[in-house]
This record gives sequence, structure tokens and C-alpha cells, in this order.
Amino acid sequence: MGSIKLHTISKKFGQRQVLHDINMEIQDGEFVVVVGPSGCGKSTLLRIVAGLESPSSGDLEFDGRAATHMPAHARNIGMVFQNYALYPHMTVFDNLAFGMTARKSSRQEIQQRISEVADLLEIGSLLKSKPGALSGGQRQRVAVGRALVRNPYMFLMDEPLSNLDALLRERMRVELRRLHDRVRIPTLYVTHDQTEAMTMADRIVVMRDGRILQVGTPDEVYSRPNSVFVAQFLGSPPMNLVRVERRSEASLVLEGSEGTAFPAPDGIRRATDSAWWMGFRPERIIRSHGGASGLAMTASIRAIETLGSRYHVHANWGRFPITWVTPEAPGLMPGSQVALTVSWNHVHWFHRDTEQRVPEDAALDFPVEAGGIR
Amino acid sequence: MMDGDLSAGAPRGTARPNILSRLGRLQHYALTETLVGYGLILPSLLVFLVFYYGPAIFLLYISFFHWNIFANRSTFVGIHNFLVLANQPLFWQSLLNTGYYVLLVVPVTTLLALGLALLLREARNIRGGGLSQALVFLPHVTPVVATSIIWAWIFDPNFGLANAVLRWLHLPQIGWLASAHWALPSVMIYTVWHSVGLYTVLFLAGLSTLPKQVLEAAQMDGARGWLAFRRIVLPLISPITFFVILLATITTMQTFSQIYTLTGGPHGGAGGPAFSTTTDSLLIYQTAFLYLHFSLASAMSFVLFVLILAVTLVQKFIADRMVFYR
Repeated sequence: MGSIKLHTISKKFGQRQVLHDINMEIQDGEFVVVVGPSGCGKSTLLRIVAGLESPSSGDLEFDGRAATHMPAHARNIGMVFQNYALYPHMTVFDNLAFGMTARKSSRQEIQQRISEVADLLEIGSLLKSKPGALSGGQRQRVAVGRALVRNPYMFLMDEPLSNLDALLRERMRVELRRLHDRVRIPTLYVTHDQTEAMTMADRIVVMRDGRILQVGTPDEVYSRPNSVFVAQFLGSPPMNLVRVERRSEASLVLEGSEGTAFPAPDGIRRATDSAWWMGFRPERIIRSHGGASGLAMTASIRAIETLGSRYHVHANWGRFPITWVTPEAPGLMPGSQVALTVSWNHVHWFHRDTEQRVPEDAALDFPVEAGGIR
Repeated sequence: MMDGDLSAGAPRGTARPNILSRLGRLQHYALTETLVGYGLILPSLLVFLVFYYGPAIFLLYISFFHWNIFANRSTFVGIHNFLVLANQPLFWQSLLNTGYYVLLVVPVTTLLALGLALLLREARNIRGGGLSQALVFLPHVTPVVATSIIWAWIFDPNFGLANAVLRWLHLPQIGWLASAHWALPSVMIYTVWHSVGLYTVLFLAGLSTLPKQVLEAAQMDGARGWLAFRRIVLPLISPITFFVILLATITTMQTFSQIYTLTGGPHGGAGGPAFSTTTDSLLIYQTAFLYLHFSLASAMSFVLFVLILAVTLVQKFIADRMVFYR
């Protein structure tokens, strides 16, 4: 076991470049989730690590040793495919045993490993069945077992949960993560599902158009997204974003609005741009009963979705649609007005032209006494 | 059908007639559907009955008669024709020849086709891959009689290409079709050349349905080359392999045209030297159309039919244990 390093990996399919200079590292025992919309190159990245594709340029290192040109069968990587790719003509036992047979393990060793893994994944009763007779969840376990049984150097998982129904997916999410905590094999997990990324990862890698946008723990990436794309991609419902523009050096207004002005933070005051994205998470909005300091807004409610544990309130602030997530919504109804507040340290600022985050130290260093401008 | 439509004829408020009329309608539709179905298969059924099953049953019928074609008279002789066959060494010889022919041609063709398909699959993305595939398939679309005549020239002991190649390789030359020892193998060479393209294409079709991710999973599992082929590819294409073997067996057991054309066709279809190429189908032809023993030839045909059926059933029996259907 050990680390995996990717140095400036690029990949071209004909004229189309699908990966641009990818640099990343997976530490020993780490669970890294690569997340991004379909077509962002995340699966290609995984296949390059697997050895199923070779990079157009760049280097791959396993535990400090060059692995760029190592053939897939020599890499000792356990891979779980999206459609499981079990050997349909073999029993579950033979599916698990195949990799060890190929590596010429002794019969006794194979028996022992399989019974260990079967216990761990609770598939002992399925060993004599063929994949065709198994349910989706069982196949999923067998696929994980097949990758696990020969004690691989690392795990690669390509959207392994996307063929399961919602309930099972939630359960397997927890189980896979628990399994990882037990075996501690470094794992690279690819998904387009931000919930999987948030709940399972030690570190998240957000990708788009063949580039890495941000790397960090789920908390870091969620609470300090470095671009508008990351801010909207992670989180459900996504972060509210409104366009604001400068009215004077020290105050901002909603774009195209003559209404309420609010103070500009330092970083923005110093910058020369005149237009910004202002973002805030739906669950960071609170109902203001006067006195609370922060970004204040008066919104008119368009619709209210009831989810049981919470409500999604869709409203308009000026001409911008916003979503507010609240555990209780007494007295609210479509058409009514509501006063809302977001604490200033939960407000995110992005440059309008580059869509990059305004650095924290500048943006958060906010003049508290100016909070009262209405 | 619409509810209102169905109950239209029945008085309102009385449930029974309504249900009955509905049942009647349903039966009516089912009957119509059945009739339409039979109507649709009728034309091909007629063709099969008149030109296929009819003659086949007639063939079995006349094999129990002594049928004199000139006197247009037939006498019932029971199993006499079959007894004649059992006591005729040439008939046994023809069965041996057929067995020899089938047992060599089928495995060679199957293995060669599989090998070619694997090569062509590897070559499919390189320049000329598609052309090679077409070239392999090409012989199969040529008329057997025409290309047999070409191959008869190739096999000519004095001026043929086959012996020229042997000369060039400094190997002893062979009499080919003129030799009792080599005549049937020469026909085999022709048959493999002519039919391997079809089976190659079948194998290619089978290989193209292999699930890509399963092969990749095997690669990740550390298997490659022969191990991956034997444990993953071969079992997954086993239905195609079974189909190819079955088809090749049936067609080679019935081979006639190339044997007739290559060995003695121009001289009245006598077969190769010392009956060396007299397979059962050639013997049936000779018996029926040279010696005009139609009843005897019918008996032979029936025996051939039973043999092919038996071989097919045995193959099916084996396949049920070895073939994996996804």
C-alpha cells in the first residue's frame, strides 16, 4: 500500500483534449472522490490510473515508482465498475477467485481470503450462485469483494452506486465508507453525485472540462468554494447567487436595482471591478426579526416545497430567484413577503468576469459598524 | 376495445349478458388473430410442405420399394434396400470417407475461423483491417462449381500452382486429385478455403458482443493472453462456437458440389481414384443418377439423415453442458 501521484497528466482523443495537466496525489489510506458533471474527464482520469488508457503526456507514480507505462494487469489495482462487470459465466466464488488464480495464489490461500471477504461483505451464502441470479445490491457487493479479495494496492471505483435504487445507494454509501475505514486501502472514487462526494470523501476533487477546479476536504470545498461553478455544483439546493454592482466605493446594490444598498467588504472596496457575484447557501438564510446584523433582504415568496424535515422556500429578491431552506415555515404562503438575513461570514464573493472567489482574508475582514446600512 | 362499444348490444342493468357478450367478442378476436397468424405463415408452409417435407416423406416411402423407373412399376420389398446397404462394402467405405472428411474439415475450419476472427478483430482499427475482413469472406460468396474448377487447375500434378509451391519449398510433390491418398485432403483444402470466411464472420460477430468492461475487469484482475482467452473470452463466445460447429458439421456431412466437380465431375462423377472421394452424398448421387437405383439411393439418404440427426443431437447434448448463454 502507498501513495499515488499524478504529474501533469494530459489526455487527447484525436483532436479533443479531455484532460489538461492534472496534478493530484492520493495518500496512503485516503479516500479521494473525483466529482464533476458528465464529460468532465473524471472517468478517463480513473482509467489512466487503472492502466486501461495511457496518458498523452505526464507521469504516474505508485509509491514513488514510475508507473506510467506499467500494463494494467501488473498494477494490482482493484476496480469496481459502474455495471459491476462480473464474469457472467462463473459462480460468485470463481469471480472472487479469478484474480488470485491469475496471480498464482495457492488454493488454500484463495479459500481463506474468499471466506474472509465473504464474511466482511456478507456474501457467504451467494458463493455458489452465478451473477445472473443476484440482485443489484448483491452484485455490487460481489464486485467490491472481487476487487478486495486479492488485497490490492489501491481501489478504483467508477460510479459504483449509480445503478442502485435510492434507498440501497444510501446504505451502500455508508457500507463502502465503513469498509474503507476498516481496510484503509487508498481509494479513488469517481462520481457525478455531489452527495456521494460530500458524504464519503476524505478529500474531494472537483473537475470540469478536463481540469481540476478545487481540491479539499468536503467541509473546505463546501464552505469555501473557489469558483462559482464549485459553489453551485456542491450542495442541494445549490448556493444562491445574485449579481451585485458597485453604487459607490463603499456600497453595493443588486444589479439593476435602485433599492437597498449594502456595504462592500474590504477586498471588494479595494478592487477595480464594478460587478460581482454574491453567494449564500440556502440553509444559511434565517428569518430576521429585526436586530440581527448581516445581509438583510426582503423577499417575495413564489412557492413552498414541503420535504417533511424541512421546507424549500422559493422566493424573489429583487429580480433574482433565491431558495431558502428552513426547518419551519409558520405563516408563510406564496405571494407573501418575508424579511431574511444571512450573517456576513456566510456570504461568498466571486469576481464576475473570472468567476473566481474573492480571497477570504479580504472578503471576511468586514467592517461590522457598516452592517447597519439599510 | 372500448367499454361502451362492447356493452352496446347488451341491455343496461343486466350484468350477465354484458359479460357474455364481452367474452364472445374476446373469443372472436382471439379466433381472428389465430386465423391471421396461420394465414401469414401459410405461403412458406406450403413451399416447405410441397418441396421439402413432401419429398422427404416420399423418399422414406420409396426406400421400402424396389422401383423400376423404366417399367414405372414398384414392388414392396420391406427393409431389403437397407440390408443391401449393410452388405455393400462401398457404402461402408463412403461412410468412412465422410467421417474422415468431417472430422478433419470441421475442427480445422472452426479453429482457423476463430484465429482469423481474433486477428481481424485486432486489425479492425488499423489501415486495411476492413479490406482483410472482406478478403477473408470473399471465397464464400463465389460459386462452388466455378472455384472448384480453378482449384482443379491449382491441383494439377504437372502444371498446377500447388505443386509449384511445393517445388519452391523443396518438398516432395504430390499427385493431389490424381492420388488415392491425397484426393480427399485436396477437397478438404478447397472446402476450408471456401467456407472459413463465413465462420470467421460469425466469430467476429460473436467477439463484437463481448462486454468490454468484463474484459477490462479480467485485465485488472491480472489476467492476460491465454488465461483471459481461455477463462473469459472462450466461455462467453461459446454459443457462437457451438453454432459454428453445428453448422459446419451439417454442411460438411452433405458436401457434394466440390467433390463432384474436383474429382471426376467431367468424367461422369465417378469420384477420385479407388473410390477415395466417394462420400455418402457422392454415392447417393451415383446410385440414383448413374445406376438409376432410386430406392437404394433413397435408403442411403435416409441413413444419412438419421446420421446427421444423431450427430446434431449428440452435439446439442454436449453443448447444453458446455455452452453459457448470457
